[in-house]
Amino acid sequence: MAKNLGGFLLLVLAISICEAASIFQPISDSHRSAALELFTPADESFGSLEEAYEALRTFEILGIQGKPDISTSSCQSVSETLVSSSSTTNGLFHALKVNRILKCKIDEEIFQGIASRLKAVVNDGNSLLDFYYSIGSLVLVKDQTSGVDVLLGDANGIFRSIKALSQSDGRWRFSSNNPESSTYAAGLALEALAGVVSLASSDIDHSLIVTLKNDIVKLFDSLEKYDDGSVYFDEKLVDAHEHQGPLSTTSSVVRGLTAFASVISGSINLPGDKILGLAKFFLGIGIPGNSKDFFNQIDSLACLESNRVYVPLILSLPATVLSLTKKDQLKVKVNTVLGSSAPPLAVKLVRAFISGSKDSSVIKTQELKFDPENAVHFLDVLPKSIDVGTYVFVFEIVLHDSVDKEVYTTGGQTQVPIFVTGIIKIDNAEIAVLDSDLGSIETQTKLDLARENAALLSANHLQKLRLSFQLTTPRGKFFKPHQAFLKLRHETKVEHIFVVGNSGKQFEIILDFLGLVEKFFYLSGRYDIQLTVGDAIMENSVLRAVGHVELDLPEAPEKAPQPPAPHVDPYSRYGPKAEITHIFRTPEKRPPRELSLAFLGLTLLPFVGFLIGLLHFGVNLKNFPTSAVPATFAILFHIGIAAVLLLYVLFWLKLDLFTTLKTLGFLGAFLMFVGHRILSHLASTSAKLKSA
Amino acid sequence: MSKLHLFLTLIPLLPFLCTSFSPENPSSRRVLVLFDDLALKSSHSLYFKSLQSRGFELDFKLSDDPKIGLQRYGQYLYDGLILFCPTTERFGGSIDLTAILDFVDSGHDLIVAADTNASDLIREISTECGVDFDEDPAALVTDHTKYAVSETDGDHTLLAGDDFIESNVILGSKKIEAPVLFQGIGHSLSPTNNLVLKVLSASPSAYSANPNSKLSNPPSLTGSAISLVSILQARNNARILISGSLSMFSNRFFRSGVRKAGSPTKYEKSGNEQFLTELSKWVFHERGHLKAVNVQHHKAGEANEPAMYRINDDLEYSVEIFEWSGRSWEPFVADDVQVQFYMMSPYVLKTLSTDKKGHYFTAFKVPDVYGVFQFKLEYQRLGYTSLSLSKQIPVRPYRHNEYERFIPAAYPYYGAAFSMMAGFFMFTAVHLFNK
Repeated sequence: MAKNLGGFLLLVLAISICEAASIFQPISDSHRSAALELFTPADESFGSLEEAYEALRTFEILGIQGKPDISTSSCQSVSETLVSSSSTTNGLFHALKVNRILKCKIDEEIFQGIASRLKAVVNDGNSLLDFYYSIGSLVLVKDQTSGVDVLLGDANGIFRSIKALSQSDGRWRFSSNNPESSTYAAGLALEALAGVVSLASSDIDHSLIVTLKNDIVKLFDSLEKYDDGSVYFDEKLVDAHEHQGPLSTTSSVVRGLTAFASVISGSINLPGDKILGLAKFFLGIGIPGNSKDFFNQIDSLACLESNRVYVPLILSLPATVLSLTKKDQLKVKVNTVLGSSAPPLAVKLVRAFISGSKDSSVIKTQELKFDPENAVHFLDVLPKSIDVGTYVFVFEIVLHDSVDKEVYTTGGQTQVPIFVTGIIKIDNAEIAVLDSDLGSIETQTKLDLARENAALLSANHLQKLRLSFQLTTPRGKFFKPHQAFLKLRHETKVEHIFVVGNSGKQFEIILDFLGLVEKFFYLSGRYDIQLTVGDAIMENSVLRAVGHVELDLPEAPEKAPQPPAPHVDPYSRYGPKAEITHIFRTPEKRPPRELSLAFLGLTLLPFVGFLIGLLHFGVNLKNFPTSAVPATFAILFHIGIAAVLLLYVLFWLKLDLFTTLKTLGFLGAFLMFVGHRILSHLASTSAKLKSA
Repeated sequence: MSKLHLFLTLIPLLPFLCTSFSPENPSSRRVLVLFDDLALKSSHSLYFKSLQSRGFELDFKLSDDPKIGLQRYGQYLYDGLILFCPTTERFGGSIDLTAILDFVDSGHDLIVAADTNASDLIREISTECGVDFDEDPAALVTDHTKYAVSETDGDHTLLAGDDFIESNVILGSKKIEAPVLFQGIGHSLSPTNNLVLKVLSASPSAYSANPNSKLSNPPSLTGSAISLVSILQARNNARILISGSLSMFSNRFFRSGVRKAGSPTKYEKSGNEQFLTELSKWVFHERGHLKAVNVQHHKAGEANEPAMYRINDDLEYSVEIFEWSGRSWEPFVADDVQVQFYMMSPYVLKTLSTDKKGHYFTAFKVPDVYGVFQFKLEYQRLGYTSLSLSKQIPVRPYRHNEYERFIPAAYPYYGAAFSMMAGFFMFTAVHLFNK
């Protein structure tokens, strides 16, 4: 829980930093435009009557004219709900609430029927919600019609039975068999009890009212507090289902409290600053993002706007940043929470001190002038004693009319941080290179920091660089900015930042390069010089290029620190890569076709020679066998040889080795046989010839 | 009883609840939002509303709620996590640093918003993502020249940032005209992490320091090295957004007008809503999530994918790439998709042609080197999920009978052999039968 709170504190802190601590602006036009955005009915009607009521009520409080017209569809569902006998008290309650705003045409008889039903519920009610809805509905019926009897006969008894659910610490239980008490329920109970009082036919027992007042005071003891003075109620038990956030809890209590305060005589003894704290809590939320929260905020503020305990007055400043150069006026507005005008009053500027040093006030207490036209309290000219800087101004609201003091709460003194800004004069800016030992000026350049400069300097490690300037405020005082940086950037993007210090009235920095060589990683070359002077209250903060210095530093020794790796562009790994095409191997060089053909001719020449030789020697085939059988073998033998040669040709053309060898096997056997026959025949014929 | 009931109703839903971004079931995603205060739910509602209107189911919880958990029975309950709890030192339930890192490691998305006094836990989570917040807990990014002009804010910590990353996929195609309001702490990016990117950087005159104390030493973060909002896309395509400001998500900043110091233009509405909505679209994969399907390759003139290629074959390669638009897969149009034919190193790297309807194709010749190759499509572009496809395919050399026959240069050899054979035939006849 504490952590929880811490988170909220942080949020408020975050908001408060931007809106200047503890300044609360009353409801303004931004709320109106946000309301129109948030409460947009889906196709001409809201999902439920409750949502319709929240929207209508918000528009009513904010006085929004150009609202979406939902009266026809809403009136229809209102009359449906009111006529139906099966509708719940919850439904009736919201229907009546919508009707209160829209004033639909509902018959008196219907109200009569509802009133009797509701009275029955009130009389045998045992849970708080029963009481809340039924009594609330009866009050609404009473407001909307005069002819129906809604007065409760046994108001004291009902009062007691609601009161019976209360706890000793001021909180309430939802029903008698639910032991957990809740602050949210306390708000509902107060509203219901206020209803009982207004509906009572006879006066309520005074002692009951007194105890209830004490209960309220006790309930306010459980308030939680923020640093900025806003207070709120938070539910102690955190149950996932029925948990109400701080906003709805607080707004329930505020609704109950204001309703109750308006029906009883006499005041409730509550301190005014707590009421103001509650108002601050609702305003501090800003513009909530959901319609329920928005309604709770606006409705609670409307309750606070016209309550009988105390009406909070909110002091706000349209601007907390005041320019001394432009002679801005200090303006203060005092409004009620919804932004309507306050009773006659005066705003006193009690004190003003420089933030951080609370010792002495820089101005005298004075009353602000009032401009009735714009309803603004203002201070004509800032006093001479106020120079640029951050101040805390302390305001106090003084009500003119002493009767108003009973009605309004102002919360005593309000502290507001004020930024007084101005144009700071920059003078005597110059940059120089000094000789180390003597301190004599080698080169010196005047600078004009109102524009970019391009001083060109060169230095070596035995020299020093001096940059100096003076800052004076509009009131002629010496000024120290928060940000005074000198930046040296080497070509390789290595940066060095130095804070420019001040000596007396002069801002000066002396860079002794001898002591800085290690820090500069012995990197010689061109350095860009950049000067940044800035402060929150300086209107002319500058970021200026001063020029360049060409540094000549000694060679880095071996153990010198390496400069950081150059920054790689993180985007370089995206982007497409260069295309790659494969380089194919080039085919071997071949002789031209003609040359091959010529050599082919050459290889055929021996064969031609052989043929010519044969003809020349007069070859014949006279030895060819004449008888039939050897002649057949001779022909078969030569056909076999031709077949083998043809097989070789075929092998060359298409056949594979295995087919070739197989066929060659058969052909070989055939050739052996026929060859043997023809050769033996030829041998026998030649032997015969020889012997003969 | 009610818990059992809840459990029983959840059981059939479990398969749908527990996936990270998956191309099969990308819509209807659950996001856990952790606050350190429930008031943030209302004060930052515009941001949540924009998420809900895009179909996200947001589950709002306090960060110290003892019942929270990211997974149950080994299944993740959420697809995304939003940490709007800058001060939380310890999460409730089973969530801790490791649980969050595991969540991201399994491909889920994360949004972290830090703020001043950010807790060590939030800093550690950021450090794991390559983001180092300024170590000084009170430091704020301050800029005395590029601040947002305000009547009530005087210390120039409310910045009007307009130094955006140049990427249509991350920030949407519509240019962000109005500057973005930022108030919070700055961070630097770890130089060793090359996945993290600055989306919104500070101006050169910015610095990160405690505005309430005098500066004696130069601040650790200065100039445009300060990142205000950074993103990271992990290698598993999990996306992370880290911001140094929680208030930049708030309704107040969304609605607030903005005028940058030194500029006469006053914008009615700050750029926060557009900037953060577009960024959330990116983070939750509604943009820039690519898928590649239907990878095909075949020999030129054929339709079927071969088991292997021969060297010097002509082949055609095609792939279809789609981008998730939040509702459907749209064809992805780009002109820089490249394919590599890769064995140890790319042999061919070619940019694919496209028909602008998501179909990418090219044709090239297989190199005359044989071995086991890969078709590699590595698509890494700023903001897009990386596509990495690889398909293995062997390449063989020529078979013995695939070489060239009847080469003219060999004619003399053929002629010699055949004239020899003819001569032999003639000689046998003459030798046997000559008289």
